Amino acid sequence: MIVKLIISENFLEHVCETGMFFCLHRLNISKVSYNTNTMQINSWGIKQRIAEAYIGEYASGKSEMAVNRALYLLHNGFTPVTLVDLDLVEPFYTLRPIKVQLEVEGLEVIAWETADTLGLGEAGNILKPGMRWALKKEGSVIFDVGYGIDGANKTRLLEGAGELKIYVVVNIARPMTGDVMRIVEYVQSLGRVDGLINNSHLGDDTDLEIINEGVEVVTEAAKKFGLPVIWTAVEEKFAEQIGDYDKKGNPVFFLKRRMQHTFW
Amino acid sequence: MLEKPIGGEKRVFMTGNEVVAWAALAAEADIMYGYPITPQNEVMHYWTRLAPKYGRSFLQTEDEISAGFTTCGGVLSGKRAFTATAGPGNILMQESMTMAEMMRIPTVLVVQQRGGPSTATVIYSQQEVTMTCFGGNGEGLRIVYSTCSHQELYDYTIKAFNVAWKYRFPVFVLGDGYQAKMRESLKMYDPATKGIKMVETQPSLGLAGVPGVDREPSHLRNTYNTEEELCEVVTNLVKEYNKVVPEVVEYETFETEVAEIVLLGHGIVTRAAQAAVKTLREQGIKVGHFRPITIHPFAADELRAICKHAKKLIVIESAQGQFERIVKEAIYGESVPMESYFKPGQGVTGEEIVEYVKKGL
Repeated sequence: MIVKLIISENFLEHVCETGMFFCLHRLNISKVSYNTNTMQINSWGIKQRIAEAYIGEYASGKSEMAVNRALYLLHNGFTPVTLVDLDLVEPFYTLRPIKVQLEVEGLEVIAWETADTLGLGEAGNILKPGMRWALKKEGSVIFDVGYGIDGANKTRLLEGAGELKIYVVVNIARPMTGDVMRIVEYVQSLGRVDGLINNSHLGDDTDLEIINEGVEVVTEAAKKFGLPVIWTAVEEKFAEQIGDYDKKGNPVFFLKRRMQHTFW
Repeated sequence: MLEKPIGGEKRVFMTGNEVVAWAALAAEADIMYGYPITPQNEVMHYWTRLAPKYGRSFLQTEDEISAGFTTCGGVLSGKRAFTATAGPGNILMQESMTMAEMMRIPTVLVVQQRGGPSTATVIYSQQEVTMTCFGGNGEGLRIVYSTCSHQELYDYTIKAFNVAWKYRFPVFVLGDGYQAKMRESLKMYDPATKGIKMVETQPSLGLAGVPGVDREPSHLRNTYNTEEELCEVVTNLVKEYNKVVPEVVEYETFETEVAEIVLLGHGIVTRAAQAAVKTLREQGIKVGHFRPITIHPFAADELRAICKHAKKLIVIESAQGQFERIVKEAIYGESVPMESYFKPGQGVTGEEIVEYVKKGL
């Protein structure tokens, strides 16, 4: 029997690490094609846990990436999926306006709600207990690590953070990460990192030019560290123009913008 | 020589606070004095990350009283100095800014408005209009730009330095929590590529030569002992300010020529008003929009001209009538009916303006 398995590079790496590779062989899976956006491994009943943290420069698109990734996992069987808003500087803002909507859609969201924050205002600088223990939960866990400059340091507050994949979201339209040199300087300041995500865009004014420039720049920066470009993230409306892989061969992740309904 | 922070022109995507920091760099600001307060924190955060790379300075003061006065001090020493604050910090800076008015110290202060009274919310409001335009025990001899987008935050932060140093009155850039924190794209540029030349700065103290022999002594004063003396000084100052007004006043109109209903809004609210005009015009409703860019001084004559043919004005703001007071003063004596749509501390959408206008037809 030939089974076509569509699987991500990232996942394969995980498979090797977890010994699941052996299982795949037992299934006689002989042909593997890579496509991040159509990861269907769960059709064969293999329960895959994904634990990722998204870090990056302020307003790089971390939250957009984290929310979209969490929803992707939810809709592709990597369930249950928990999304954690790990912003300790301004902890009451980022996901709050869309928290309930995301819960309705099926995510478990660990973030503050308006009622919880009554009286705390900006003075509250606290870790919600559920955040610390989120990695002990069953299923997939995605962290949106707010307020960029601390990098991966905040994940030290989490129990079991060792298993986390830490991805840096980079938008080259942000001058702080506007060219290879600046990205390198920035990534060096972040601590442990497992991959870069090219999320180069100009909001509503995004065009192919900025996306493709981002592909070049971020891929080159990633090479300097020997890190993979996990995805080039683009809005869905560019799907036809870009395809499943960008011109440097990095997989493309298609985003639906959710953060327009928030303001932080 | 250190490279320029921005060469030529560059399309970028960032938050409003970062825009201010980059604009100040592009405007060749020498130093920022500051004290942290939401929602302006990232002005400081980004300035402190960027400044050392371009040979600029930063001083964190012990509070906003000090940040305001050190900004004055920096300017007196000939530095292109600025500060940024919000809410309670803006209150504390009024003392130094009124001194700057009186002493003609060209300070630049960026305000990202938050809610009040007192500390209230840190998110958004347009409740710092009265304070930013008229705060302090003075006559409001200052220039206040009310911006509506990241592009304007960039443009007017640069302009603020030049207007301040050209006319020697304090200049304020009035943003808000939404503009501070939201992300959108803009074009950053080196002012020189647009033909903008930064006005040269001059020290007021420590000048070369012997005072009274080689040069006039610099006699800096902010204390006046008699009522008569103060009256004379302030009267002259007001005259000087009034001379400047026609040169600095700025506004924008949208389809006001044949408008029966004119929406008045400033700052980010203009974006909702512009959207509402577009929708209502498509539905055949004759609506226009007037927006002051300098909310103080105010383009009174231009608004009066609109009042002659408009059948109704609607003042829209995220405050309880602070902007409306400025409008009323500007068009005192006009007979056009006026309505208000106030949402203190809360944002206004184009859709709700459309609904409000249609309800009143």
